[in-house]
Amino acid sequence: MTTTTNNRFAHTYTLLRKALPDEPAWVSELRDEAFENFRALGLPTVKHEEWRWTNLKRIADTDFVPAEPAEVSEEQLAPYLIEGADEIRLVFVNGHFAAGLSKSPALPDGLVIQPISRVLGSDEGLQVKLGRFAEPTPPFVALNTALFTDGAYIRAGNSLPVEAPIHILYVSTDSDQPAMSSPRTLVLAGESSELRVVESFIGLGVKPRFVNSVTEIVAKGNANVRHVKLLRETDGTSHVSWNELNVERDANVVSHSINLDAGLARNDVHAVLAAEGANCTLNGLVLGRDSQHFDNHIVVDHVRPHGTSNQLYRAVVDDKSRSVFAGKVIVRQGADGTDAQQQNNNLLLSDDAKVDTKPQLEIYTDDVKCSHGATSGQLDPEAIFFLRCRGLDETHARNLLTYAFANDVIEHIRIDPVRIALEKIMTERFAGLLGE
Amino acid sequence: MTTPLLEVKDLHVSVDGTEILHGVNLSVAAGEVHAIMGTNGSGKSTLTKVIAGHPDYEITKGDVLYKGKSIIEDEPEDRARAGIFLAFQYPVEVPGVSNMYFLRSALNAQRKSRGEEELSGAQFIELVKEKAKLVDIDQGLLNRSVNEGFSGGEKKRNEIFQLAMLAPTLAILDETDSGLDIDALKTVADGVNSMRATERAFLLVTHYQRLLNYIQPDQVHVLLGGRIVKSGGKDLALQLEEKGYAWLEEEAATA
Repeated sequence: MTTTTNNRFAHTYTLLRKALPDEPAWVSELRDEAFENFRALGLPTVKHEEWRWTNLKRIADTDFVPAEPAEVSEEQLAPYLIEGADEIRLVFVNGHFAAGLSKSPALPDGLVIQPISRVLGSDEGLQVKLGRFAEPTPPFVALNTALFTDGAYIRAGNSLPVEAPIHILYVSTDSDQPAMSSPRTLVLAGESSELRVVESFIGLGVKPRFVNSVTEIVAKGNANVRHVKLLRETDGTSHVSWNELNVERDANVVSHSINLDAGLARNDVHAVLAAEGANCTLNGLVLGRDSQHFDNHIVVDHVRPHGTSNQLYRAVVDDKSRSVFAGKVIVRQGADGTDAQQQNNNLLLSDDAKVDTKPQLEIYTDDVKCSHGATSGQLDPEAIFFLRCRGLDETHARNLLTYAFANDVIEHIRIDPVRIALEKIMTERFAGLLGE
Repeated sequence: MTTPLLEVKDLHVSVDGTEILHGVNLSVAAGEVHAIMGTNGSGKSTLTKVIAGHPDYEITKGDVLYKGKSIIEDEPEDRARAGIFLAFQYPVEVPGVSNMYFLRSALNAQRKSRGEEELSGAQFIELVKEKAKLVDIDQGLLNRSVNEGFSGGEKKRNEIFQLAMLAPTLAILDETDSGLDIDALKTVADGVNSMRATERAFLLVTHYQRLLNYIQPDQVHVLLGGRIVKSGGKDLALQLEEKGYAWLEEEAATA
């Protein structure tokens, strides 16, 4: 089984290498090394503890060819743009940069926004940085490093405040054969800089598709990064992502993972609070319907003293959808004064929906403040009755309560245009609400 | 004789197979205030919830008429839209839903069902200002989630505020006075008194006679063991204050 699977991606790899343009030797070496690594690791199965609730059959049993560039019109893209957050945008279609759809007005000195493919050969320092933060051992990180075609490269120089959100759109279209793309994002926030980055993963097709993305965010000392990942794939898509956050001294990273649609999605967030006083907030929302499957695995690693971390993950699952949450907080020896909070709440709207949750703490020091909690349940019948007693019909009451449950995550998003866009999306999803 | 606003006829009600009300009869005319008193577990809350349409209560016999028509098959929201309001004994917290949003949704749902124009944002704010003054509710509470983190008194005040905003025809208050200090109690009483009108009736369910020092009822009923065992004027409440319920329980047992 493992051999077959790896051979399958070996074919994908061969096809991709043939299709890729010339690139610096170090990149080719990095790919070969990563692919060997992946070959040795193999695809995870439900026998692996970290994958026990997510079956990758739909990836393992399909032959994927590398996705090819395709034409996407402004009209097709329009529903996914975010008013007020699209002044700077990078669009990639099937893993290939779409210059015509991208927008990049005059940028301040010290801010670099480029497709990774264009800076691989430059002196931007990618040789040192690419693949140096995300650990090479997770199989899908290795596979992405071997197979990535393009993605966004963003770097803010020291003390540069970039308040305009940067929107990166990774779009997938239909193709004749099942195709895969491997977007790669690298965000480097210099010391005391400020960055707001939005990643949208968008499915325009309905056929089987595999998107395997890796995003690395590095926040240097005292930097502030606000990041939102929006998942808007279609049910044919299997989406796997690895999000590596490297947070240095006194830096703050706030990352929201908003899972609106995908057939199957697995998001790993690995946050390393690498220096004293580093802070991160990792929030997430799953809105599952039909037979969708979402799996969010979070690890926060408190390496040094006085770090704080907050996690709030909520899932609303309807129909036969399923949500998995596994959140681990590690507090290393010497990471005194750590404050780590984790909360996972799940709302089941149907009898066939399913939720699995696994909160975990690993603490190797005494002086810490840690808490975690998980709840799973249905809408409060007394609250529904109360709202109906005031004149709201049952559907309206249920939708209002569901909206409120989900909005608890959304309201923490401090990139205003994104929050407003999401409120609108949720109002449409939970129909019957009053427009404000 | 005019049709009573509310008529409860030989009402038998069960929850999970246990009968709680064993044939309650009650008639409330428009313009009147009735008080229902009784011990814990006598069925007072059950009666209010049945009138409001709580899905957990099963009517095994009897009927509830509102404006002469049976409402027991109606959904809770239809009853609310027809003008029936229940102030909850334990107001429910609704995290994430702001009071203002909730009230505007409720008010407009009710207006729409009556074929009235929905209120604009500005009209709504005007109404809120007027009614908030009436029940002396902190404006800050209005922008918070419904009842979330409110004190007991604030929750009850909020129920009266909703009452004032929605201006129902039949207002049922389930132990709204319980656990209130004198200031909050007076606010509740003032709210009710200011809303007394010829077309509106109140059903006050209470455990304590104290509320009736501030609101003059037209009739007082004593509910014991799932039956109304005595009805009378305001004096009956004073008698209960003095003598407790034991004499009525004995009377009921020998009857």
